[in-house]
Amino acid sequence: MWPDSDLKVASLVSNGQHPKSGRSRRASQDARAVELALKMTGRAARVIHVGTGHRDSGLGQYLGMGLPEITLLNADENADAVPVLVDHLKGTDLDIVLTGIHAEQGEASGMVPYLLAEHLGWPLVSHIADIQKVEGGKAEVLQALPRGQRRLLRVPLPFIATVDNAAAEARQYAFGAARRGKLVDEVIDAPVDQARLEWESHPAKPRPKRLHVAKAKSAADRFKAATAKPQGQGGSVLRDGTDLEKATAIMDLLISEGVVR
Amino acid sequence: MSEAPRRDPRAEWILRNRLHPEHDVLVAAHSGPTRGPTGLLRKNPHAVGFIGPQGIKRIDRSAGLSGGASGLSSGARGRSASTEVELPLHRVEHPDFYVAVVVDLVAGRLSSHDRDILGQARILAKGSEEQGAVVAVALGEAREANFEAAGADRLVSLTELQGQSLSGYCPEHKLAVLEAVEAELSPRFWLFPDSIHGGADLGSRLAARLGERPAVHAWKVDAQQTVCRGGSQLTDWHRPTARVLLLAEECALPVDETRHEARPIELASIPEVSALIEDLGQVDVDPSKIALGEAEFILSAGNGIRDWDQFHAVATALGATEGASRVAVDDGHMPRNRQVGATGTWVTARVYVAIGISGAIQHLQGIGQCDKVVAINLDDSCDMIKRADLSVIGDSQAILGELLRLAEARQGGTGDAAIDLTEEARHVA
Amino acid sequence: MLPEWLLPALVITALGLFAIGALRRILLWRAGRPEPVSLIAGLMAMPRRYLVDLHHVVARDKVMSNTHVATAGGFVLSMLLIIPVHVFGLDSRWLTIPLLAATVIMFTGAVFVYRRRRNPPARLSKGPWMRLPKSLLTFSVSFFLLTLLASDLLPENFGHWVLTGVLLIGVTLGLAELLFGMGWGGPMKHAFAGALHLAFHRRPERFGGGRSTGLKPVDLDGMLGVAKPSDFKWNQLLGFDACVQCGRCEAVCPAFAAGQPLNPKKLIQDMVVGLAGGSDAHYAGSPYPGRDVGQAQGNPHQPIVDGLVSAETLWSCTTCRACVEECPMMIEHVDAIVDMRRHLTLERGETPNKGAEVLDNLIATDNPGGYEPNSRMNWAADLALPLMADKQEAEVLFWVSDGCFDMRSQRILRAFVKILKAANVDFAVLGNEECDSGDVARRLGDDATFQTLARHNIATLSKYRFTRIVTTDPHAFHVLKNEYGDFGGHYDVMHHSTFINELVEQGRINLDRFKGGTVTYHDPCYLGRYNGEYESPRALLAALGIQVSEMERSGYRSRCCGGGGGAPITDIPGEHRIADMRVDDARKVEAETIAVACQQCTAMLEGVVEPRPEIRDLAELVADGLVVDATPASTATAGPSLAEEVH
Repeated sequence: MWPDSDLKVASLVSNGQHPKSGRSRRASQDARAVELALKMTGRAARVIHVGTGHRDSGLGQYLGMGLPEITLLNADENADAVPVLVDHLKGTDLDIVLTGIHAEQGEASGMVPYLLAEHLGWPLVSHIADIQKVEGGKAEVLQALPRGQRRLLRVPLPFIATVDNAAAEARQYAFGAARRGKLVDEVIDAPVDQARLEWESHPAKPRPKRLHVAKAKSAADRFKAATAKPQGQGGSVLRDGTDLEKATAIMDLLISEGVVR
Repeated sequence: MSEAPRRDPRAEWILRNRLHPEHDVLVAAHSGPTRGPTGLLRKNPHAVGFIGPQGIKRIDRSAGLSGGASGLSSGARGRSASTEVELPLHRVEHPDFYVAVVVDLVAGRLSSHDRDILGQARILAKGSEEQGAVVAVALGEAREANFEAAGADRLVSLTELQGQSLSGYCPEHKLAVLEAVEAELSPRFWLFPDSIHGGADLGSRLAARLGERPAVHAWKVDAQQTVCRGGSQLTDWHRPTARVLLLAEECALPVDETRHEARPIELASIPEVSALIEDLGQVDVDPSKIALGEAEFILSAGNGIRDWDQFHAVATALGATEGASRVAVDDGHMPRNRQVGATGTWVTARVYVAIGISGAIQHLQGIGQCDKVVAINLDDSCDMIKRADLSVIGDSQAILGELLRLAEARQGGTGDAAIDLTEEARHVA
Repeated sequence: MLPEWLLPALVITALGLFAIGALRRILLWRAGRPEPVSLIAGLMAMPRRYLVDLHHVVARDKVMSNTHVATAGGFVLSMLLIIPVHVFGLDSRWLTIPLLAATVIMFTGAVFVYRRRRNPPARLSKGPWMRLPKSLLTFSVSFFLLTLLASDLLPENFGHWVLTGVLLIGVTLGLAELLFGMGWGGPMKHAFAGALHLAFHRRPERFGGGRSTGLKPVDLDGMLGVAKPSDFKWNQLLGFDACVQCGRCEAVCPAFAAGQPLNPKKLIQDMVVGLAGGSDAHYAGSPYPGRDVGQAQGNPHQPIVDGLVSAETLWSCTTCRACVEECPMMIEHVDAIVDMRRHLTLERGETPNKGAEVLDNLIATDNPGGYEPNSRMNWAADLALPLMADKQEAEVLFWVSDGCFDMRSQRILRAFVKILKAANVDFAVLGNEECDSGDVARRLGDDATFQTLARHNIATLSKYRFTRIVTTDPHAFHVLKNEYGDFGGHYDVMHHSTFINELVEQGRINLDRFKGGTVTYHDPCYLGRYNGEYESPRALLAALGIQVSEMERSGYRSRCCGGGGGAPITDIPGEHRIADMRVDDARKVEAETIAVACQQCTAMLEGVVEPRPEIRDLAELVADGLVVDATPASTATAGPSLAEEVH
């Protein structure tokens, strides 16, 4: 049934960064949102970015996924994207707006879709893995739950959805397509995000790992806590016994871990 | 009152005086650990041991396995285990303000994340001269959720709203409840676990509704200043503490020194909700279709597998996701997307069962994040055994056969069958 | 007797038809993209290239070489003589007798061709090629007898018109095959296209004993890779047409042997189908393993992938160059494959399996594994390696390569560092400044990423002074040595096997005898075939007192380990694994240790299920055999200073 030419789907994309090198790239969740939009509407998928547009940044990589163009709402780094997007989206007749869950740069609060939904009065579905069908003005959406589980939701158009990492992986971007794609500039007036300018940002310090503090009620407990064999240092090995005993030992562990119910 | 420890000065005096005629009798009676004045267990080091045949003092550390001084240690153990210390009750009669905590209640229980957030709420509630109360908001069925111990002074608990059960996905209904709490209690802080179990979603919705700018991924919070982790875990944002806080795991220690009332609060009125999002329920997901990276329980096959049909049958019976080593994939027994390891997929399963996998370095790298690893292998010197928490040495085919029987017996719904089988095993042994 | 004009007319017609066909063929080649060649110099060099360079390759099979000399030489000579004798009617014994001799030589050659065709090996194409020996025999016999009849060597009226008629039919058939067929795509096309291919070869450096193995630079603003046959350079198309379908490439191709869907010969034939238009229904050789013949269709302006060949065929190649090394027509299979891959990656974004992820990682972290770029020196945390950034100058720059992230390769690197230190080499490493060499990106078709990495590395290298670069990775070695030059990086690059051997020869390290069982040596493709280094590793092993028991396929015929060209990343399924076959080769010579000189080969061969021979890098073998007695080196330097102190 995809692509559906009647459907108008847009993805909001941000500039990502690689977690190891910090280098600019397409954001992985946003790219999945673009992938979903491409699946649903083919090359008619619209992609919107607020910020300073550089082809060398992540934007080029989105274009490389085969997008003919990206609408670029020109705003500088300190701008507040929400009012800009609200204005822009009010002027369109979109059915579905897709975004990632969190940005990969900056505050990464993940609030943009929620604020848009609030301002536009649209419903919002979070953590979706797929949109299965759109029928009679309602979409059936598959929501990703932890550990590979899925939930089916029905939501009326128009709506906003945040795309989970469980969604189909974004296609490879091609250098040639990135070279051909266009950035369509739109000059807009973006208000400055004043509150954030007052915050300080530092490179992230590794968070202290919580130690297994044994709040001992007695010296014996403290002694036990201090001398107990740390976990994971070699497990138990079952060499002898019948096959059934061995299988039972495994089964017991599976049951105690709760993976076999 | 009889439980309270009391000092007996006379007995202590006799105990100190080794020449006292009653000394030996009393020492014998007191030789187990006794409670000191602070309630801590005290052991008399002089009373440990006995005089051996050569007249030399001997201490038996075999903890009661041999005859000797068995009575002492076993008695001590029994006593310390049985004493459940009653924590002091923390009461807030007239709170100056509220700190609201919306808990995830994963499968009806308080998750460790929930407890951390409640711990954080306690810190925020007692921070100033004013006395705050922690309100836990529990939406949906709560089972074994010990709110008293977790640190909730008040409890708003709803299992359904206007005919809609709050256990499924119904963010609009839940939001309505939170708005009612806001209207009635206007909490000073709103705390949510920043989790995939709904906390982050609900918190963001509330923040958007209230027009508050939330602090997200907050991991170090006090009443004034908050440190939030930024995108890709690469930056820390230092900012004034927001009213709505989405807190990271381990942001604070859970409450463990006090008990709380968890006094229920009935909300006066909740406005009518017209929900747009319909929950059509959870979809049955075939465990074998779950992406390896997401799977919780993986049964992984390597070179040592001979009977592949049996392996698939065991995976189906146990409800496990199938994985494979590189060799098994190369030999065409399993598709490439099932390959575990640095050259395949990095997995995060809670339980990983490796059958006939010797454990190449790339494979061990790939399962680095698994909690419990079980190995079934013929060779007890292979690297997988060194990594595994439980290793079973033997013929995988035979063991899988037994495992299959156990799993099928369990599926039959008769827990007794499994017990019978274990009984049988003991007889064989 | 038959009319006088008949025979000349036949020859002239055949020649005319050949000329028309040849022109048409040339036009087909010209559909390709332009590439400047020097016409005159190329044509002038052609005979030498043919007689020396080409026959150097052909002569690896002595019988076939002689057969070809006889047949082809006889044919060319007789054709040259037929024109004056039979067309212009020059009747001189000085011409007739040589012509008779030429046809006899050709006949002898053709008999051998015929004999081989009776039970042809699987690699040879059948179909029209089975007809060829008969045509050759017919041509030589007919012209021999006709010449004999027309000459004055026989008594008058010896011939009968029936005999002459039969001979004329033979002549017609022979001319049809050998001249008409040459211009119109018959088996003899190879002679015509092959001659021109030699003249206008894209890598003229290969002739006269030279070597040219680096890929050609790509203009990223121009066309990216090859989508349709007409996107090839015209002389590449010409090269495809030169194929004789001898199947030597097929016989050595590791992917073909492993049952992956690649057959270099079929690939070249499919390109011929593409340039001429049509389908491969007439192809009569071995198919791509697991694929049926007759499905491929195309023309110069239709996409190649999924019309002529499947993408999996292109991604099966390990770029080991065995086919190129073996090809008697000097066709460049690997260039063509990488050209087409480039289109798939850069234009379509269809690098299979882990390809996309690896390229992503290279773009974001400068290494294929996606590891933190600043953790490049973690492997050497305890070695206190001198950094180029601190020293600015060193005799040897040790190019660590991405092996620094792999725990197995780290053992090789550490062994090499031990050797460097033992020999007191003045060396330094780039540390975190180093990036991936770009080898994998380029073989996967991503020249954009390759160029980014190459330019970055060249800029880094230009900051420092060093005499040479030494690396343990033949892939980095090849790229640094042969492919950075196009971007302005010219260095003296050495592989560690060459370098250590030099140290041994100079007496800077002393080696103990190797105490172990039988050792065989596996030549890495990128060291051997790409860079011609076969001797140093063997000399080094000899210095360790090892008598290498050579595998059947070694030296320039070494079988690939399966790890090149991004093949482990694209991972196209086959029936066997290439690495297993290579280890089987080693088992056949009962080797207990396989000495290798490449970390990729180590990884691939160690991936074979035990029991198997132990895999050791040369650096590890040398480091184990190092005599740590440092006295000769230290006394040499400390001696004079001690003497001074005494005074």
